[in-house]
Amino acid sequence: MARVQLNLNLNRVEGDLEIGVTLEDGVVVEARTVGTMYRGFEQIMIGRAARDGLVITPRVCGICGTAHLYAATLALEHAWGVTPPPHAVRIRNLCLLAEGLQNDLRQTLLFFAPDFCNPRYQNEPWFDEALAGFEPFRGAFYLETLAATREAVKIIAHFGGQWPHSSYMAPGGVTLPADMRKLIACRALLDGFQRFYETRVIGAPLDAWLALDTAQDYFALLETPAHARSALGLLSRAARALDLHKTAAGVGALLSFGAWRDPENPDAPLLAAGFYDGAATAPLDQGRINEHVRHSWFRPYEGGRHPWKGETIPNYAPDGDRYSWAKAPRYGDAVVQTGPLAELLIGGDALVASLYAEEGGGAWLRQFARVRRVAHELRFARQMLDQLAGDLSGPHFLPPAHEGDGEGHGLTMAARGALGHWIRVKDGVIEKYQIITPTAWNASPRDSAGQPGHWEQSLVGVRVKDPDDPIEIGHVIRSHDPCLVCTVHMLDSGRKLHFGV
Amino acid sequence: MIRRRILCFGNPLHGDDGVGAAVFAALSARKPPEGLEVIEAGTPGPAALALFEDCDEAIVVDALAPAGSPGRIAQLAPEGIDAETTPAPHGMGLGYILRALNALPGPRPEIRIIGIEAASHRPFQPGLSPAVAAAAGEVARLLGPCFEDGHG
Repeated sequence: MARVQLNLNLNRVEGDLEIGVTLEDGVVVEARTVGTMYRGFEQIMIGRAARDGLVITPRVCGICGTAHLYAATLALEHAWGVTPPPHAVRIRNLCLLAEGLQNDLRQTLLFFAPDFCNPRYQNEPWFDEALAGFEPFRGAFYLETLAATREAVKIIAHFGGQWPHSSYMAPGGVTLPADMRKLIACRALLDGFQRFYETRVIGAPLDAWLALDTAQDYFALLETPAHARSALGLLSRAARALDLHKTAAGVGALLSFGAWRDPENPDAPLLAAGFYDGAATAPLDQGRINEHVRHSWFRPYEGGRHPWKGETIPNYAPDGDRYSWAKAPRYGDAVVQTGPLAELLIGGDALVASLYAEEGGGAWLRQFARVRRVAHELRFARQMLDQLAGDLSGPHFLPPAHEGDGEGHGLTMAARGALGHWIRVKDGVIEKYQIITPTAWNASPRDSAGQPGHWEQSLVGVRVKDPDDPIEIGHVIRSHDPCLVCTVHMLDSGRKLHFGV
Repeated sequence: MIRRRILCFGNPLHGDDGVGAAVFAALSARKPPEGLEVIEAGTPGPAALALFEDCDEAIVVDALAPAGSPGRIAQLAPEGIDAETTPAPHGMGLGYILRALNALPGPRPEIRIIGIEAASHRPFQPGLSPAVAAAAGEVARLLGPCFEDGHG
């Protein structure tokens, strides 16, 4: 073969999300999130066999395919009245926990933290440390995170054969049982990950870290060299020095579908589900979930519709006031945010609750909660392994007694927040399938009442020092863990700029 | 034991970006000998790191950005591939993966890259341009020796 010198860029067609912001005197006064791609999985599902969602829907996302598989399975189990055996729930949880481990540290230390290496910050006292820790492909934390997270998803491969896009869960259980070989391999992977988390990410033993329960205790810990020099300590010092704890809180209502499932009582999550309205938490009522399309490119309907009554029929109309391929999910009338912050606040993490009460939710606390969640993931993953090892004889699959028509929902917490699948089976095939992803909640456009979505609200008020290098917008958007590759458009004095964030 | 993997990257929904998939389809007609794996890798982001594990050699087949000579076939060194600039998780392309592999501890395979220059960017328009379709067949032919035990 001839060797040819070219100036190369192996491009992928990307850019499924755009964010338009309007600046006045350097401050964002309005923001719009634009989903630029039609997903269409809901339409693909219509008319297919009921179980097809177990293979097709994990393809919705390359990062959280396990969560989609879990939700698709729960929806069918709900429709068919199936209760999986405890060991199946443990294996499902273990795999979902592993998916969370890889996402939470990758997102934090490979995508959020490197922004602190921007030359804008070269005079900050923490800048040299940020470079040494977070600089892409050179920083110590960056490199160690690349290596550690690659290992975590091997836990899923032990039970699912591959990651991502695996299909090893089914109504009634999972396809492979646990055995001692798998459990020992998973425990070794988990031990290595926990060692990395304790020594490099938080600079503290896991149990002591989980026992930390007040904001004051955390701020005191941040003064200790062990935590201050850790990845989270460095991130917290830099983010808080830039006031990111006071920035971009977004909406005050939070939603969690509850994280993981109790093996002995699979209807109950291990971390509680609920709706926090800004003052108190109420039990989750999935009947209050509805989706608006008033500002979306779908066939119009009035107000909001519950997913079982919903539809996802494209109706592209670029001229007018509709602007996104995303719908606007709402809980009752409320615009909500979801993600690790919602999951831990509603789920009862005392430290996150204390920090939220002290300072409110900002970009830093969203990111902090994501790192804090890793501790819960490690704790529950170890618990699942211990329980599996305690008695390997239990069944991993019980075939459903009934596989007929019906409707069901499957609600879980994916890496980015509340994920729901709704299915209706009629005459043996899927009549309706609706999916609401975490990013649909967070990045929703305006609804029928004109209420902007959470991201849109979180950007308003953000001061941008240099519109040619809008690093502040980058911090905020990344703190949301965007599922979609995004681009920012800015309007300032009639000037339109285009940024990759 | 896998000695060599041929990894065909790309998305056939996006015009010439699907050339990797076309090469995969052509190679799939042949039975690989022991030690050779041919994989349609798609656009997997960070999950692609696993495809470079536990093998001695990885041959990457992918589309190159248009530069005026559609269908041109180039063999490239991994360090010559730029990292894509899109930073969100789904935006981690081959350039990022190659840099990550270089930065990771542990053994890494010998990596060869075969690029095929695209005629143009055509998002959501399946099908290859004539020059790139011809090049896909040529790349499959050039990789033929890999299917003969002990050669290639």
